[in-house]
Amino acid sequence: MEHTEPHSTEPEMANRQGAAQRPNGAQGKICQFKLVLLGESAVGKSSLVLRFVKGQFHEYQESTIGAAFLTQTVCLDDTTVKFEIWDTAGQERYHSLAPMYYRGAQAAIVVYDITNQDTFGRAKTWVKELQRQASPTIVIALAGNKQDLANKRMVEYEEAQTYAEENGLLFMETSAKTALNVNDIFLAIAKKLPKYDQNQGQSGQGQGRRLAEGDQGAKTPGNCCK
Amino acid sequence: MAQTMYSKIDEYGFERPANFDYEVHAEFMGKYMHILVRRAQRWSTLKGKNKFTRSSKLKRFIRKGIPLDFRASVWLQVSGAQKLKEDSVWNYSDLKKKITNPSLIDIIKIDLPRTFPDNINFIGQEQLTGQMFNVLAAFAHQNSEVGYCQGLNYITGMLLLATRNEEASFWLLKVLVEKILPKYSVTNMSGLLIDLDVLDDLVRKLDVDIHKHIHKIGMPWAMVTTKWFICLFTEVLPTETVFRIWDCIFYEGSKIIFRVGLTLIKLHKAEILRTKELSELITCFKEMRNHKDIIDCHQFMIHIFQIPGRITDSDLKNLRTKYSKAQNQR
Ligand SMILES: Nc1nc2c(ncn2[C@@H]2O[C@H](COP(=O)(O)OP(=O)(O)OP(=O)(O)O)[C@@H](O)[C@H]2O)c(=O)[nH]1
Ligand SMILES: [Mg+2]
Repeated sequence: MEHTEPHSTEPEMANRQGAAQRPNGAQGKICQFKLVLLGESAVGKSSLVLRFVKGQFHEYQESTIGAAFLTQTVCLDDTTVKFEIWDTAGQERYHSLAPMYYRGAQAAIVVYDITNQDTFGRAKTWVKELQRQASPTIVIALAGNKQDLANKRMVEYEEAQTYAEENGLLFMETSAKTALNVNDIFLAIAKKLPKYDQNQGQSGQGQGRRLAEGDQGAKTPGNCCK
Repeated sequence: MAQTMYSKIDEYGFERPANFDYEVHAEFMGKYMHILVRRAQRWSTLKGKNKFTRSSKLKRFIRKGIPLDFRASVWLQVSGAQKLKEDSVWNYSDLKKKITNPSLIDIIKIDLPRTFPDNINFIGQEQLTGQMFNVLAAFAHQNSEVGYCQGLNYITGMLLLATRNEEASFWLLKVLVEKILPKYSVTNMSGLLIDLDVLDDLVRKLDVDIHKHIHKIGMPWAMVTTKWFICLFTEVLPTETVFRIWDCIFYEGSKIIFRVGLTLIKLHKAEILRTKELSELITCFKEMRNHKDIIDCHQFMIHIFQIPGRITDSDLKNLRTKYSKAQNQR
């Protein structure tokens, strides 16, 4: 069962092929962000995370009960962005638990399945809820997953793109199966997140939390995310 | 069981975790085999038509573990599932013929291959997955307040593994969801939200240091304990430990979930307090299944009746009332 819920905190993953690599020897700032995945059951939330964190894909991924937690690090220029990823359960009735998970999140990926129109409707509901209830500065990305099944497509790319533009969302079609756009969507989010150092060690609204000195080998003195 | 001692697959077909401690397990199994033999002998002394009728002696016996061969019959008897079946105006095979709701059929079918994909008894095995479909669809059909809740698939899978009997699994699922457990699986999961608050309350009373630490780190209980309530520790603890817990749940009810949860937490006090951030804390909870005292399910089942102290049905009822009022005011 182990692989269905990958373990968290795997610093070596930062160097895994496929994840963004840090230029050799570069010493930079480290920022930590909370990111939550939302969307209907079986659209591929856990699969996207598994692809991003471990570079794996399982044809039969167990449904998530409660929430899974993983971390992964990406590097942008001189900044290391550490994502704390909260992967939630998708079935409608688990909705009542969701606010506990998106509370304080600086980023969200709302996922739908391009072969299923209902999941796109559900994604829109999630976006609305986040815009109303989550942190006002939250960065939201919309992921049209299972792009490898484009021959069974029920949601047009243009339709989703227009919706995303109107709502100020990042948008990509992804495939956890082929890895298409999986790292890219996390990177795009990392780029969009405001990376200044606010109150040290405090997870402020929309602000990356500065890691304590020494965490994850952060050796740079001074502000982390200036 | 002996030949599976060092196998990567446990007695029930589950793959063992990657970091499974085979040495600790082997040591425990050496001891446990004797216990199982002794318990089987003791159980064989129970005689007569009423041998599985609820009694303080049977309760004591059950706390020490029901032998595999008796498990299905004892669960059916002591939980009231057998009575539900006898009193029912319809029978299971008629109910199965009425499974027609296409959206229900679809959502259950999506989850079939996603249930225990690592268990050799399920993966690509049409017999067990077919039975799982029948039980879940029949259950959903006769209980529209619950319908299909993700998590019931894991419970049903475990019931099938323990009983190897589709109809028994159906009645046991029904008695669990409708009689033994609070409203965990209904469409707003109200019972789950209440019991998460109850757990928080009980942890505070058990050990304030642990309670403070969990809150300081900011871990919502739901994150690690939803599976405790919804799946009754399936895939959270080793399979044998899970069935030993279920033995007691079928007799004593949902307070056993709290006993187990509080014991897990208390046994890991040092590890919990050592964690500095959320990821460490969550790893700590995930690793609990590898703890020596938890692999030794026989000792663990003694602990759960000692470590958390007294929890009576009426204590639990009062707490649930208190937090259901609090929920309504939110
Ligand atoms: N073809 C294809 N299948 C995918 C893709 N992503 C996920 N899947 C499959 O879709 C099913 C559901 O994926 P999950 O990742 O478990 O979905 P989820 O959104 O986490 O579902 P819940 O945990 O139930 O909310 C699995 O069987 C995956 O193998 C994809 O990009 N392409
Ligand atoms: Mg999932």
